[in-house]
Amino acid sequence: MTGHEAQEQFVALLRERFGVAEIPDGNYPLIDARHHFELARVLKEEFDYRIYSFVVASHHLATADANNDGADVEAAHYEVATGVRCVGAPAHLASWRVRIELDRAIPTLFPLFAGADWQEREQYDLVGVRFDGHPDLRRLMMPEDWEGHPLRKDYAIDTACSPWR
Amino acid sequence: MLTRAARVDPHLDLETYDPGADLMALNLGPQHPSTHGVFRIKLYLDGEIIVKAVPYAGYLHRGVEKLCEELTFIQIIPVVDKNDYVSPMMNEQAIAMTCEAMLNIEVPRRALYMRTIFAELQRLASHLLWLGTFGMDLGGAMGGGASLFMHCFRERETILALFEEVTGCRFHYNTHAVGGNRHDITSKFSRDTKTTIEVIEKRIEEYVQIFSSNRIYRDRTQGVGVLDGDLAVSLGITGPLARASGVDHDLRRDAPYHIYGELDVNVFTESAGDCFARTLVRLNEMRESIRIVREIIDSVPEGPILGMRPGKSPTHIKIGAGQHYTCLESPRGELGTYIIGGGDNRGASAYRLKIRSPSLHAASCIPYVFPGHTVSDAIAILGTLDPIMGEVDR
Repeated sequence: MTGHEAQEQFVALLRERFGVAEIPDGNYPLIDARHHFELARVLKEEFDYRIYSFVVASHHLATADANNDGADVEAAHYEVATGVRCVGAPAHLASWRVRIELDRAIPTLFPLFAGADWQEREQYDLVGVRFDGHPDLRRLMMPEDWEGHPLRKDYAIDTACSPWR
Repeated sequence: MLTRAARVDPHLDLETYDPGADLMALNLGPQHPSTHGVFRIKLYLDGEIIVKAVPYAGYLHRGVEKLCEELTFIQIIPVVDKNDYVSPMMNEQAIAMTCEAMLNIEVPRRALYMRTIFAELQRLASHLLWLGTFGMDLGGAMGGGASLFMHCFRERETILALFEEVTGCRFHYNTHAVGGNRHDITSKFSRDTKTTIEVIEKRIEEYVQIFSSNRIYRDRTQGVGVLDGDLAVSLGITGPLARASGVDHDLRRDAPYHIYGELDVNVFTESAGDCFARTLVRLNEMRESIRIVREIIDSVPEGPILGMRPGKSPTHIKIGAGQHYTCLESPRGELGTYIIGGGDNRGASAYRLKIRSPSLHAASCIPYVFPGHTVSDAIAILGTLDPIMGEVDR
């Protein structure tokens, strides 16, 4: 199977079983948070995507409504992108995004991929997104008593920190 | 007393592990020579046997990803050099490749050849450094500790001299740009490279003799630190670590980039998954890197090395909304960059930039592999995992 065929197979899977209508150009598909764990499980168990590649969370502030007409205003949210890969040629990467509100949590992938343990801890630490069902959601990079999550957009790069907390 | 298999669930309480035993807690690190950086592992010992290992990362966290949101795409290339400071070429290439994919820039063939040569020489230099420091970790096992270290550093220095000839820098090259390369190679570089790899090829065979005839070395590595292949891929471990556990996966062959698609890259696997297997895989990769460089060094095509018009302003590369992930096979595995475009400076910075570092995944196998081994084995295992702390913590 070539990489192109694998991508078509992945897109077909998203369309048929996960209700993704269209995939915009230059973007990874956006799926509903309820399907997040199920999609990862199907990919791992039925399509042999066994390598846990990455999880990237990003924080998005609410968009300002410039014309004040109430259209296209997005509430503040997190976006979590996950990528899993199959072993050996064509080493295809299946990647998708999930959007959740700031006060919600996203299901952990730890029961499927042991690597999710540290990766999700890192994203929780730096961005602040919480992973539901994670066995050990502690900070990974920053000190345990650090305040705030540095990669959030409302956290300025020159935020003062006291050296003797 | 729990069985070994049950012990390696890193999330069990300490009491469940060994209720009756009097466990001693020992801090390995943060500043221990074997960690090759700053990394702390809290070991719970029953006598000399490790019962539970709890790693703590973050001592070298520098906020590179936050910094990358602040700087422009041109400015971040010399910054990411310092992530995996043993193979800076790979870091630069990973960032440049993602930007090129998002902007649909075609890199000229001469630049692709140069990138391939740089990548393979860098892999050779990185594995040489690993071999030398691993010899030091094992102490007397490899003929008195520092001797192998000195040998390997002598060879690595010749590769750094080649890079210095091209870029002017020994370490943090800043030679890759979005769209191509910044420094061109000359015919002298090709000649010097051929002489250098010839010397190194002979020396590698000498090192192999040091190992293969050394009983102490075999005793200290065979059967030590066995990593299961399924666990490895589930943890996201790739590269020589996974290949030593029987995972036949190499991005150079399976998802080719640069000009690897036109070459036959031999991928070496071992099934044992122990420290000895990891050494064999890395030694074979060094030979393979030499073979690849020799195959293409004379066929570098003439032509431009930058696929776009160079700009004077640090903001001349702008990436709009959208996201992309690209990765390459670094000496430690899959090194990737995930970029969300449309950030500050009207798109000249990333909105979010994540570096997928193979070392962080490698370090995450410590709680699974350490239990059941002695403290001295832990040093050998940590040596073959070869995590670069600058890349683990970023």
